[in-house]
Amino acid sequence: MPRKVSPLIRLAGVLLCELCLLTAAHAQAELRWGADPSGGAPYVYADPAQPDRYIGYEYEMVAALAAAMGRRPVFVPTDWETVVSSLQRGEFDVIVNGLEPTADRARQILFSKPYYVFQLQLTVRRDETRINSLADCRARTVGTLGNTAASRLLAKEQIPFRGYADPVGAYRDLELKRIDAVLMDVPMEMFYARRNPRLKAAGEPFQPGTYVVGLRQGDDRLKAEVDAAIDQIMRDGTLERILRKWNLWDDRQAALRAQLDAPPTAAPPPAFELTNATFNWPEAVARLGHAALITVLLAFGAMALAVVLGMPLALGQSKGPGWLQSLCTIYVEFFRGTPVLVQLLFLYFGLPRLGVVMPGWLTALIGLGLNYAAYESQVYRAALEAIPRGQWEAAYTLGMSPALAFRRVIMPQAFRIALPPMTNDFVSLFKDTSVAFAISVWELATAYREMANASGEFLLLGVIVSAFYLAMSLPMAHLARRLERRMQRRQVVEQAAVEVTA
Amino acid sequence: MIRVEQVKKTIGGNAILHGISFEVAARTVLGIIGGSGSGKTTLLRCLNGLERIDGGAIDCDGVRLEATLDEATYRRRVKELRRKVGMVFQHLHLFPHLTALGNITEAPVHVAGRSRREAEAHAQELLAAVGLARAAARYPESMSGGEQQRVAIARALAMRPNVLLFDEPTSALDPRRVAEMRALLRTFTADGHTLVVVSHSIGFLAGLADNLLYMEAGAAVEHGPTDQLLHAPQDARTKEFLQQGH
Repeated sequence: MPRKVSPLIRLAGVLLCELCLLTAAHAQAELRWGADPSGGAPYVYADPAQPDRYIGYEYEMVAALAAAMGRRPVFVPTDWETVVSSLQRGEFDVIVNGLEPTADRARQILFSKPYYVFQLQLTVRRDETRINSLADCRARTVGTLGNTAASRLLAKEQIPFRGYADPVGAYRDLELKRIDAVLMDVPMEMFYARRNPRLKAAGEPFQPGTYVVGLRQGDDRLKAEVDAAIDQIMRDGTLERILRKWNLWDDRQAALRAQLDAPPTAAPPPAFELTNATFNWPEAVARLGHAALITVLLAFGAMALAVVLGMPLALGQSKGPGWLQSLCTIYVEFFRGTPVLVQLLFLYFGLPRLGVVMPGWLTALIGLGLNYAAYESQVYRAALEAIPRGQWEAAYTLGMSPALAFRRVIMPQAFRIALPPMTNDFVSLFKDTSVAFAISVWELATAYREMANASGEFLLLGVIVSAFYLAMSLPMAHLARRLERRMQRRQVVEQAAVEVTA
Repeated sequence: MIRVEQVKKTIGGNAILHGISFEVAARTVLGIIGGSGSGKTTLLRCLNGLERIDGGAIDCDGVRLEATLDEATYRRRVKELRRKVGMVFQHLHLFPHLTALGNITEAPVHVAGRSRREAEAHAQELLAAVGLARAAARYPESMSGGEQQRVAIARALAMRPNVLLFDEPTSALDPRRVAEMRALLRTFTADGHTLVVVSHSIGFLAGLADNLLYMEAGAAVEHGPTDQLLHAPQDARTKEFLQQGH
């Protein structure tokens, strides 16, 4: 028979255990928060003076929030475009990244109460006279961050826009006249554009919206904790102190603070619905179709350039004088030995320093073309070297000059050898066009990424995008096969003829 | 006619030809015999400018190559020379991407600038002459070695050369075709061509060449009428070579 334990002792035991668990939990509890620090000023970004350290008003705010929650903040750098899916996959527990509570995101994640009221600011070049408000942008291209309240507003207003991965690129392209205006949240505009003498604000800030903390669905306990912490740092003035330090405090923040003490029904959160994503399937497919066209243009244009440029490179490298050989070798090794992404960024952002400004699609086309020319030259070189010396000599003894022998005898044979590897290269170039996202060219892969991130429809959009890719690559594979078969068939027919006559 | 005067050739520091001299009269056939490495093929390559000579001179139907000429002049002379000299390689080097007809018309159309129609008519005649009247549309890879060789000969003839150089013309032939080939080459002298034929087959040259040249170690050991050289060689080295059963 079990010994009877006094209920009092049992209660004490349970309490003790609870206490242990609680303190243990508190000692170790983390607040893992995700944000994109790349071009992330003034929210969270690497300290220019000390790049291994992050700073920013949200960085400081999360420290305050975490302190209020009794947790230790752990910053997880991530990518803005995929911040929602990263949260859902559990890479971190909350998003604190100037996240706007949009209706489409509300279907995927939970929102805390708002902690900041932002507005949008339209920026143009200093000498701009035509654009004074968003309404003047109907027939122009406006740059913005991809997958933001601003980009959704532009989509809703049917203003052509380009989504950038960070504000730096958008404002630089505005300076370089690649786009006509930039629409951005005021904090970013303040940090990246206001002090730039070549840019100016067009009109006043407009379209207020709020920033909230994003949480996984089902994390209601954490949401309650975060909401309570936001209340606390608002009430005790910590948030105001941080925002004032970053020059972000204004009347709207004061109004947000005032709502804390007002009865809950009296003050609806400001402008919650301003940024519905206008996602409809016909438009999505149309935009993907357009992106597919860009992809085709990039792939064919770059390949044409590579095929043409590869030949002088191959000849220079194998037959030219010493200095030319070295030059061609340097070219080939440079373009094969450095990532095409770096080359594109160099062309897009570096060349304008030298006074050469090209639109993004042309930069991508030329960049990929220059890159693939290096590969094609090696294909040609191998093919040329595969042609026996005797072919040259036979051509010479018939009186041909080296140029004529090359054109009439060597090249047609080398082409057959080069064709299969060239087809391979074309297929990989086709896929490599996706690096153009780095310079904000809306080709198919970028379109998929941005639209899927905005809508969460990774699966369905993925199927459509794959169908587009297949619709483009299958005919090409078919063509290549037919070409190869045609060359073989000629041999087979000839072989049959011999057998008949023999 | 061809006159070779003290021709020297060094390749990679090795003297391949040490001052070789001989003459070939117009409309005659010179057979060149000799062991492997005797310099036969190099001599042939010098005769059509594939190798630049390092000493002496070659005079071929009035085109004179001299070792002392500057590079540009030499190259210009070689270009002239090649209009007069046709070459059939041991390994033929037919153009695999072209039909028999294409192989033959390529140079007349693109080098000599003849019209395609004229070049094709001539090519058909040549194909008929070498016994391949119906092979015009076939590609080299579908042909037997003997057929390919005859296409190569027709290709060389298409530029209407005075001199034809043959490097081992029987190496691709089975024995019963050798006599046919000899009969074919015989017709060329009747047409006014001068022939230089390098061959390891003395039997083949015996019924073809007017004169023979025996080479050994890059030097002309003996040069004379075929019958005399085969049956009454003057030099002990020639005798020894012939006795080895070549």
